[in-house]
Amino acid sequence: MIFFIKLSWRNIFRNKRRTIIACIAIGISLASLIVWDAISIGMKNSLLKSVTSSFLGEAQIHNKDFRDTQETEKTINKLGKIVSDLKKEEKVDRFTFRTISFSMITSPSEVNSIILFGIKPETEKYLSKIDDSIKEGNFFKGNNERDIVIGAKLAEILEVSIGDRVVVTVSQAKNGELSQEMFRISGIYKFNIKEMDTGMAFIRLGKAQKILGLGNNIHEIAIKFKNLKFSTQNNISFWKKYSKYDNEAVSWSTLLPQLKNIFDFIGYSFIIFGIIFLTVVAFGIINTLFMSLYERIFEFGVLRAVGTRPSGIRKLIICEAGSLAVFSIILGTILGFIITIIITKTGIDYRGLEIAGATMQELLYPVMQIRQYIIYPIVIFLFTLLIGIYPAIFASKMSISNALRKSL
Amino acid sequence: MEYNENNLIITKDLKKTYKDNGVYVNAINGIDITINSGEFTAIVGPSGSGKTTFFNLISGLDSLTYGKVWLNSKLISDMSGKELSDFRRDNIGFVFQAYNLIPVLTVEENIEYIMLLQGVGKKERHKKVLNILREVGLEGMRNRVPTKLSGGQQQRVAIARAMVSEPSLILADEPTANLDSKTGTELLNMMRRLNETTGMTFLFSTHDKMIMEKARRVITLKDGLIEKDEIKA
Repeated sequence: MIFFIKLSWRNIFRNKRRTIIACIAIGISLASLIVWDAISIGMKNSLLKSVTSSFLGEAQIHNKDFRDTQETEKTINKLGKIVSDLKKEEKVDRFTFRTISFSMITSPSEVNSIILFGIKPETEKYLSKIDDSIKEGNFFKGNNERDIVIGAKLAEILEVSIGDRVVVTVSQAKNGELSQEMFRISGIYKFNIKEMDTGMAFIRLGKAQKILGLGNNIHEIAIKFKNLKFSTQNNISFWKKYSKYDNEAVSWSTLLPQLKNIFDFIGYSFIIFGIIFLTVVAFGIINTLFMSLYERIFEFGVLRAVGTRPSGIRKLIICEAGSLAVFSIILGTILGFIITIIITKTGIDYRGLEIAGATMQELLYPVMQIRQYIIYPIVIFLFTLLIGIYPAIFASKMSISNALRKSL
Repeated sequence: MEYNENNLIITKDLKKTYKDNGVYVNAINGIDITINSGEFTAIVGPSGSGKTTFFNLISGLDSLTYGKVWLNSKLISDMSGKELSDFRRDNIGFVFQAYNLIPVLTVEENIEYIMLLQGVGKKERHKKVLNILREVGLEGMRNRVPTKLSGGQQQRVAIARAMVSEPSLILADEPTANLDSKTGTELLNMMRRLNETTGMTFLFSTHDKMIMEKARRVITLKDGLIEKDEIKA
């Protein structure tokens, strides 16, 4: 076998130009797979980070009917028990409380419908980026319970600025009676996400509970895990544990199914992309091996004549395919590594791009993973060997007398 | 079938029909022949007389249409492809017109290839290569690649490769066709000497008058049949 490997390695370099061109083509395919995968992971991470760290959180707990009905009275059951359990939860890093209600906001010149969030500023800042997105004013500095923070677009619609007064109208929890309260604009944020900049406003949790008539109850607990991967692990006990007492604990993938669909789509497109590249690789290998084979038909005839078994010829061709793959893999991994490193240094600027409700807020950086440099080269190597079987069988079944006649 | 221990090749009613462009061509029309061990025999005849086909049939490179072939007392016409490969490896050495060396292997690697297939150990292979290179007058050239050798030297390497595993039969198909007459004569004298010293059987397919002169037996083929079988005194 060692002799066949040595012979095949020398054979593939008999026509250096052809081999190098074939290897570059295969290498570029491998490099493309590596870079595409790194960018895909980077894009997923970036989108997920944008969504979960902007406001959503990585998981949420609600009353099980709240998401469907959005009714103010559907608050989280047994809140005390849940909070004490969450505090002991090893996987959980931070959590914060929110109330959520449909409201009307009125300025002296305009009126707009919004979702009014009651938040705890001191814990909210660890779960969302509202405080980082403040463009004017501040994020609940001091203790004024009449502070309200609104989006830049909403401020434009209402024609208000910092210090201006607005009136918020909500429907109370128990009797559905309307309740109005005057607030003073203390902060204006800009997320570059249309829904957030136009349709959301934030007040302190205590004030929200008061005007909604909720007592100490809340609608939502937003959670950040110590590791984001917990949010995608459906089998961990966390989900079951906090889905008791007519509550539900759900991850971002349930809250934003369209984002999960986008991730699935990225996964499928990678598979399609991979199949196309592997097909290119397959034709490249078959073409190279057959060209080399037809040039050496007499030689194969001689090898068979002097006693090489058909299996020996098959081994030789498979070894040639393998040698071609090894050379291509070395080229491809180096090329893939260099391109990924370059993009990692510069990043790809897709900031502001909105996909399925998620807006890219940071430069996109490819994510290098060991598997890209182990699994894909192994796949290319095995695939090349598999493709080599056809020319190998062809060569081993060649008629010896016909092959020897090719010299004449 | 009567078999004498001196008999190396026996063919019985050997026939081969090809289909060429939809037309059946009878290349060999029923050859009965016996070739004994140690012969230095030339198969001659005009182009299309069936020389190469006869070679292919007695060496198992091509399948028979009819008849039987015994080589070294083995009925090779009934062997499977794998058995034939092993049989050729151990019993037949080939020398072709176009030198047929593997260009990416050195002289030594070319010569030891068959021994490698036979599973001969490295030391033994090396020893045999050095001996045979001495025999064919190519000492000191074992590390050269074929492209760095002249046509005559390449053909000597091909002869060395054919002989190194000590097969009972050397089949040489037009071995001097690509060589000038001086080199051809030298090569032929060398083969004649090796035939005498080793006792190996040499069978040539040729048009070369010089080979016909040196051969101790000349079999002339015409239209796939033996026209003349002349044993020289």
